[in-house]
Amino acid sequence: MIRLSGRFRSALIIGIQGIRARKMRTFLSMVSLFLGVLAVVVVQAGAETVEQAQLANLAVQVGKDGTRQAYLPGSPESVRVSNETLANRPDGVVIATRQAIVGEPGVVPVNPGGTPFDQPGGYGGPGGPMYCDQYGCRPISPGGGDAGTPVPGQAIELTLNTLTGDIRQFKPFRQVSGEWLEFTSAPSLAPRLVLNLEAAKGFNRHQVPAEMRIDGTTANPTPRIIGVVDDGSPQPVAYSRTDELANWISPNTAASEFGPGLQVMLAPTAGELERLLILRLTATGTPADQIHFETIQARENIARDLALIRWIFLGMASLVLLIGVAGILNVGLATVGERVEEFALRRAVGTSRLLLAGIVLAETLLTGLLTATAAIGASALALSAAGALLADQAPFLEDMVFPWRAGVAGVIAGLVAGLLGGLIPAIRAARIPIATVMRA
Amino acid sequence: MTALLELHGITKTLKGQRTPRTILDGVDLTVESGESVAILGRSGSGKSTLLSLIGLFDRPDGGRYLLGGQDITRLSERRAAALRSAEFGFVFQRFFLLKHLTAAQNVAMALVNGQGWLPRRKRRARTMAALDQVGIAHLAKHRPARLSGGEQQRVAVARALVREPRLLLADEPTGALDTETGNLVIEVMRSATERGCGLILVTHDRDHANKMRRVLRLDDGVLNPATTTPDEAWTPHSAGMQAAPSGAGPTPESAAGVSAPDGADPTREGVPR
Repeated sequence: MIRLSGRFRSALIIGIQGIRARKMRTFLSMVSLFLGVLAVVVVQAGAETVEQAQLANLAVQVGKDGTRQAYLPGSPESVRVSNETLANRPDGVVIATRQAIVGEPGVVPVNPGGTPFDQPGGYGGPGGPMYCDQYGCRPISPGGGDAGTPVPGQAIELTLNTLTGDIRQFKPFRQVSGEWLEFTSAPSLAPRLVLNLEAAKGFNRHQVPAEMRIDGTTANPTPRIIGVVDDGSPQPVAYSRTDELANWISPNTAASEFGPGLQVMLAPTAGELERLLILRLTATGTPADQIHFETIQARENIARDLALIRWIFLGMASLVLLIGVAGILNVGLATVGERVEEFALRRAVGTSRLLLAGIVLAETLLTGLLTATAAIGASALALSAAGALLADQAPFLEDMVFPWRAGVAGVIAGLVAGLLGGLIPAIRAARIPIATVMRA
Repeated sequence: MTALLELHGITKTLKGQRTPRTILDGVDLTVESGESVAILGRSGSGKSTLLSLIGLFDRPDGGRYLLGGQDITRLSERRAAALRSAEFGFVFQRFFLLKHLTAAQNVAMALVNGQGWLPRRKRRARTMAALDQVGIAHLAKHRPARLSGGEQQRVAVARALVREPRLLLADEPTGALDTETGNLVIEVMRSATERGCGLILVTHDRDHANKMRRVLRLDDGVLNPATTTPDEAWTPHSAGMQAAPSGAGPTPESAAGVSAPDGADPTREGVPR
């Protein structure tokens, strides 16, 4: 072990001396290798970045990996049981979905059905204002139409998700402005709403009265909008506390027949809670075959999709890396030719062939490592600069950290290139006969 | 007492040509510890080849090679490297200093060769001791380009001595130096023999050969087993050449046709050291 250590140290010392003595050649080797290592690092970092961005979006839209979720029948009984079972539980949340209209009473909302504001079928689409009913959608005439056609007014329809707890532990919404719902204080008579970006867009465009109509209410509450989040949904959505709406609508009212209806999300560790909920739901008449929990596995699905693309790009990067290897090989062979006397002399003073090869490899490996460090540094700087400059267009870049896997890939690429580029020069160096020195 | 070095019937043939050429033909040689031996001979007589075989740079085709009584005729490359490091010191005509290293680093090169590991402090101490031994410790940080020829060769000698070898092999170490500087280098190497180190010197310089305990002649691959003096070795009637003036040494041309002197005294008493 000590002998091995001595050889390793000797190779390292002599390798460093060699690099210092031939700075220009080392630099030229690094230049040829830099692009190859950079390509590998960029592909790896790019794939990681895209994967992270996709995962972040999926986590916001679908939920974090490992979360247990179930879509349940939205009957009043299952809503009641779910709300009671998960009340005040930090490891689970019940999401009941309803349609709500905020604005003037008795008018058709600007986006009937809660559709996006800029899409056909919604207000402001290419065909102008639209009215949709069970027979389909048609343009609303500017004059107000006949007596049978409801009059469009200043109201916005949105999907209202009532929550028994903080959903962000499962879906990490990005806070855009204001604040998120807090569930520790007493429920307010004026339900607090947090809008998503699409809903915020509607409220920004249209001045609507603060009156909210929900099916099943006997009176219309006055909501308070306290914040805006990015939940990844293209439709206008608002989030509210279940208990705050309970002042206006029974929490046991059936959930909407449209959309997810009643959804339950549980932490991966809440197995006991899951069993209790299933037990109580089946005991109160919910058919067991309609209760099905599943685990969210977004990363696995995404990884499969991205793997192929990543390998294709890595293949291309490897080709660029090979050019770098050829550069190191070229410079290495030329250097060995110049250092024949040195290598023969080193063998004369007791350096073995193996160590001599190790010295040449140490130099190329160190060169590869230096190059990898430079390429990784350049990539990290580029990512940081991209984050600063393009944060507006690509928000996920703002908090993006240089992925460590890309760094590891760069180091491996540098070392492999150093090894491949240095192997033949090392063998040549080891084969130099000592007699060359004696007869020189 | 076991001899430091024994060669018995060593042969070496140069192959790869139409007719193989015999470089060494049955060489017998014994060197004791602390003994200094000069080998004279004209160019192409096989002196350097003999030295390369003794120094384990190459393998003989035949014969036996004993070092300290151990047969090392057939050694693995790894073992040969270890012996080169531990037992031999080499001094060449062309110094062979690495120009990108300082004098001290050139000397320490023999210590950083994978044959055992010395901590930096010990390495430095031994390097400085070797440089001090050849009288140039004050030039330790100088690169070869800033040293004179004599200083460079003394750095080379320090490199050869830094591992305290049992045998010093010098191949025309003064060939590129003036007489005065050459004498200095020879004295430095001779002083190593006083500490028990054997010395084999290949040279053309009669004065330098005179300072060795024994002088041997190598002619066309045959080493004359008889000990002789340089004067005898270059005797015109025996060597078929003009006697070279003392200190100048024969030129390769003048040495052409030299043969073993007749009647050389095998006991070689009274040869100056």
